Amino acid sequence: MPSFGEFAQFTVAGLISGSAYALVGVALGIILSVTGRFHFAFMFTYAISAYAAAQVGESYGFSFWPALLFGALVGTVFGVVIEAMVYRPLAERSGAYTLLVIFVASLGLTIAGTNLIQLIWIDSASKQISGFTNAGYFIWGLDLTKLGLIQVAIAWTLIITLGVVLSYTALGRVVRAVRINPEMSLVVGINPRIVFLQVFAIGSFMGGVAAVLNATQTAAKPDMGFTPLFYAFVVAFLAGLGSHPVRVGIVGLAVGLVESWSALFMSTRWTSLVVFGILFIYVALRPVNWSDVRRRRRRQPVTV
Amino acid sequence: MEIQITYFNTVLIFSIFALSLNLLLGYAGQVSVAHAAFGAVGGYTVGYLFLEHDVGLVPGLVVGVVLAALAGFVVGLPALRLSTEFLILLTLAAQTIIITLITTSSSLGGTYGLQGLGPFTIFGQKLLLPSDLMPYLLVMAVLIYLVVRRFGESPYGRVLRGIREDEVVCRSLGKNVFAYKLTVFSVTAAMAGLAGVMLAVQNQLASPSLFSFDQSTAIIAMVILGGTGNLMGSIIGATVLVMLTPFFQNVLSFAPEKSSLWRLIAYGLVLVVVMLVRPQGLLPEGTTLITLGRRLIGRGASKGDGSMELASPGAGAAGVVNSMGPDGLDTDADAHALTELSHHGRLPDSGGDLWDKGEVVLSVVGLTKHFGGIIAAEDLQMDLRRGMVTALVGPNGAGKTTVFNLLTGAIRPDAGQITLRGKDISGLRPDQVANQGMARSFQDVRVFPRLSALENVMLAIQGQVGEHTSGLFLHPRATAQSERDTSDRAMEWLSFVGMTSFASHQAGGLAFGQQKLVALARVLATEADVVLLDEPASGIDQQWVEVMLGLIEMLRDRGQTICIVEHNLHVVGRLADHTYFMELGRITAQGSFEELTSESRLAEAYFGTA
Repeated sequence: MPSFGEFAQFTVAGLISGSAYALVGVALGIILSVTGRFHFAFMFTYAISAYAAAQVGESYGFSFWPALLFGALVGTVFGVVIEAMVYRPLAERSGAYTLLVIFVASLGLTIAGTNLIQLIWIDSASKQISGFTNAGYFIWGLDLTKLGLIQVAIAWTLIITLGVVLSYTALGRVVRAVRINPEMSLVVGINPRIVFLQVFAIGSFMGGVAAVLNATQTAAKPDMGFTPLFYAFVVAFLAGLGSHPVRVGIVGLAVGLVESWSALFMSTRWTSLVVFGILFIYVALRPVNWSDVRRRRRRQPVTV
Repeated sequence: MEIQITYFNTVLIFSIFALSLNLLLGYAGQVSVAHAAFGAVGGYTVGYLFLEHDVGLVPGLVVGVVLAALAGFVVGLPALRLSTEFLILLTLAAQTIIITLITTSSSLGGTYGLQGLGPFTIFGQKLLLPSDLMPYLLVMAVLIYLVVRRFGESPYGRVLRGIREDEVVCRSLGKNVFAYKLTVFSVTAAMAGLAGVMLAVQNQLASPSLFSFDQSTAIIAMVILGGTGNLMGSIIGATVLVMLTPFFQNVLSFAPEKSSLWRLIAYGLVLVVVMLVRPQGLLPEGTTLITLGRRLIGRGASKGDGSMELASPGAGAAGVVNSMGPDGLDTDADAHALTELSHHGRLPDSGGDLWDKGEVVLSVVGLTKHFGGIIAAEDLQMDLRRGMVTALVGPNGAGKTTVFNLLTGAIRPDAGQITLRGKDISGLRPDQVANQGMARSFQDVRVFPRLSALENVMLAIQGQVGEHTSGLFLHPRATAQSERDTSDRAMEWLSFVGMTSFASHQAGGLAFGQQKLVALARVLATEADVVLLDEPASGIDQQWVEVMLGLIEMLRDRGQTICIVEHNLHVVGRLADHTYFMELGRITAQGSFEELTSESRLAEAYFGTA
């Protein structure tokens, strides 16, 4: 049996990684729930954000915070461009098969993008984010790092901000209206096309921030987005599409904790399997009530 | 020369991957991103048995293929009720779990995999060179092509395409969708396992990267590029994408490490561009290289293909009148009856006495269903009688369609008993209910859009030999005979509803009224004793309504048991021998239509006015 100290330390680790899962879960979740696009290329916008941040640090001497912002903005631009140039044209003419068509195109973008990153940065297997000096703290018998605390703080600031925006602002009302019924929102003068772009911007930005923080901890790698993408799917679907961001975030924390605690009992090589196993079992055993998902899908495409 | 043969061999192996995925994705409409992982099961099995137990290729191959089929079975188990997005996630999880298990297991060589596999010996011959392997691969690829073709281009494949288009309707026609999905998952996983074995044999290696997620997407790219639902297309797709590597290396003279990246970038862009420019792939479903070539040469000549002419309702009615219906209907008499009916309205009232004397075919006792606090059906008692039309009327939200869903097993009742010809059918699955002789139509029509009108109806014909694997492979003659009979029979039903001239048209391209007639032909072709029709006359022009009513009356006069849900009171008044009135999940009145309409309280409940 693990000691209490070990347990506490693993709990802290789980809360930190769980905050990262929460952030990507919220980011992908808002895209999935509002636009209905099976945005696999989230994996690509994630990775390109980290590479962009690393590159401006190296080439132009950006310090950490501006580089973080720059990286996230690059991811945002890619996300918005993908929606405008690929997903929307596809959705507008593929009718009942939209979901599959967009998934295939999104998968294609991911493969092409990931390998393009590898080709551009072919001389280095991975890329470091410069300009961040980590520090360690020892509080109440727990090892904490500055980066870990920053990760938690940023993740929850973004998640709660999004929650407040969705609940209390005009933009939030518009986004919720489009999520519930795009055609009807069109009737009352909301343009779902613009809202979709805004949602892709929000989701890609949050994903980009998560990516830069992740790369600061280790390094940017071309396929670094695969696991976060997968965790994001798990978190978003477990929480339920269209749930409040804070609720999605809490599910992310729970996934992080379960994964971290499982490391107490098994080799760390196997811990990622725990999350994949959770998803497999969840999907396999989930009671049949897909009506909400189906209804959303049938509403596609939104022709404006 | 050997290097060219290596590429040829690789094309053959990936053709097997692509063909099998096409059966799953293109025909059955089930997305799988785990195809390479099923290959890994095969490849690693052969490698492990060879290295650890000195097992030869043939027995190793058999074990590998069986294990891959088993893996496909396990992944397919939860797939019955999954929508596309969850199926993608499920197979993605399966791909990752299988590859992670392999990578983290030290007895399988970890990241480096199992190296130094072979040379294998087959029938006493050592497989040293690619050219030694080639003939075996060629035979396997041809065999797989033939097997996949047999599955896909047959009554079996028609069911798979039906499942792709609309599972719910397939079940209502008596198809055991679950069994079909499981079979196709297992069979295609076995084929992927075979391809995986051969990939490992060719490379003398089984490694995680050989069967990675990237490989799974490459296989998807091959199927999409070639065209889903087109087998020749898959072979072309596999050829094009495999040959990209030598193309980049030799023609564009890229360095090997760059050319492998370029190849993957090309894979990705191919997927995006194909989706944007030609989503049906190079060879669309139902075309061959020859027909495609002809169409390219003779462009414009076949322009009429796409545009659909509307048949006038009159033509439809004439079709009904002039055609010989199934079971040798006397068309003249029917035609006469039809004109009689449409001119004079209802036949002399059959009255309550006749209703009471009719044989009870379906009887419902105490049927109850609650959704949380909402009462969908409460203690329903109702009978359907032979040769009569029973109508279910009531305001919107009264639970009429729910009753159909309960009767056909689409929704499980909380309590109550449904007896069909003396047999308790409560709790049966929709396909079992259909096989017991009760079929239904749907309010929103739900034809299979990408199947022809004829194929739509053919799917409903019961007892087809070729819809089962045993018949398909063991009794080819009986299958062929049954297919001819099915086609003839379906044609008769199409002619019954006056739609023969549209038999080869894609159902999704037909006008709404025509789709309704095809759907009617489809539900009738089940030859079910009891037919439940959900708003047969809604959403269509008055002339079509006349045609539809005439057809229903013909059925009634032939002794079929019919139940309709209908809002159009003119329709109910003309057709119904007995009417149940539903409000908020309860049957609150019953009797002849005249009796019900004379009650002012019901009129108020229905129209909201006194």
